[in-house]
Amino acid sequence: MRDTTTARRMTAAVWTAGVTAVLAGMPLLARDRLPDRLATHWGLSGESPDGSMPLWAAALVPALIWLVTAAAVTVPLMRAGPPIHPWTTVTLLPLGILLTGAQAAVVRANLDRADWHEARQPTTWVVAILVAAVLAGVAGWLLVSRRRGASDDTTTSDEAAPALDIPKGRRLVWFSRTANPWLQLLAAAIGLVAAGALVALVGGLAAPGTLWAVFAGCGAGSLACGMFSSVQARVSERGLEVSFGPLGWPGRRWAPGDIDTARMEVRSPAEVGGWGYRLSGLGTTVMLRAGECLVIRPHGRRTDFAISIDDAERGAALLNALRTDRTRG
Amino acid sequence: MLLSLDKTDTRPLHEQVAGAVRRAIAEGECAPGDRLPSARDLSEALDVNVNTVLRALRGLRDEGLLEFRRGRGVTVAAGARPHSELQIRVGELLAEAARLGYSRTDLIDMIRGMP
Repeated sequence: MRDTTTARRMTAAVWTAGVTAVLAGMPLLARDRLPDRLATHWGLSGESPDGSMPLWAAALVPALIWLVTAAAVTVPLMRAGPPIHPWTTVTLLPLGILLTGAQAAVVRANLDRADWHEARQPTTWVVAILVAAVLAGVAGWLLVSRRRGASDDTTTSDEAAPALDIPKGRRLVWFSRTANPWLQLLAAAIGLVAAGALVALVGGLAAPGTLWAVFAGCGAGSLACGMFSSVQARVSERGLEVSFGPLGWPGRRWAPGDIDTARMEVRSPAEVGGWGYRLSGLGTTVMLRAGECLVIRPHGRRTDFAISIDDAERGAALLNALRTDRTRG
Repeated sequence: MLLSLDKTDTRPLHEQVAGAVRRAIAEGECAPGDRLPSARDLSEALDVNVNTVLRALRGLRDEGLLEFRRGRGVTVAAGARPHSELQIRVGELLAEAARLGYSRTDLIDMIRGMP
């Protein structure tokens, strides 16, 4: 496992560095045959370009976009260390092809032109690049999902799942809740900004355009932070019920029969890519804080659902007991 | 916290629910200051009418085990744990006495007669 992890990290690093070198190097190497400013943008209708950049900017801007994206995708996953990185492949492979292709097309269009206005739109190139990028994305997705499908079989063994002993004629229910005060604080702070923007908007204090954007952005941010600042979970004969936020809405429910296994796992925000409602190689995680998570595998699914919650061990054990009770009759 | 209800118990339901919460407090399932699940949550999970749950919670408040706070819901009162343990033992004593044919008054007399 360690060897493949290192190999994948190496592949990602080499791919990132290689694409950066090609993106920045192509225009610089060909600078003797290029005009001072490069045509970098063409309108949808016309053949002639409508945007240009100095040579150094045309070399560096795509490289910077690439580096920032690559860092954003790989760094959290690198720190976490689980061997499954689906989004790395699915994002970096097509994006690298897209940027490299676009850069090649730009260089080709500007090659041997005296002025950037003479550069013609490389339509066939653009279409070919888009097709290649989509194909690469699909191929990356297939590769990753097959690899994950293979590794799945080893992780879901029913015997390892802990189960609580329910005495005959007893009804057991489990409650737990977890809150992240920092997220609550953040939600309140962003909410205040949104309220301030609304007041300014009503009072006509500033330009409505920006204020509307501030109000909408901060309002949505505050709601999202508030919704995922606390979670409640309960396990009863109705199954697992999870609800988010102070209002207990929205919520999700799984009947005991809808769950294949339940277990406790220690996870951290770095592993799942941050706080809140997260989709990652580990499946869906509602992450409020590092530590115990209740992880379930819904029936007929190939990915897990996890919530960070205290006392997850017993919740999982009760859920397993209810599940096996039901199948036994 | 884990709550446990006996399906074969013949006592009134609100007493059973109160007993389950009392036992949870005695066993340290919820510490003083902890917030209890809402009455609606409890009623749905235990499959008991919400009014029955409220009746049980009010009873526990009157015993001094719970505090009702506006805006914070129902919390476990300070010092509730030893209190609930004693209450459970008194309950067991009553049951044992009844089984042996002593009435409550007999029991009170016996306690009064203790040195």
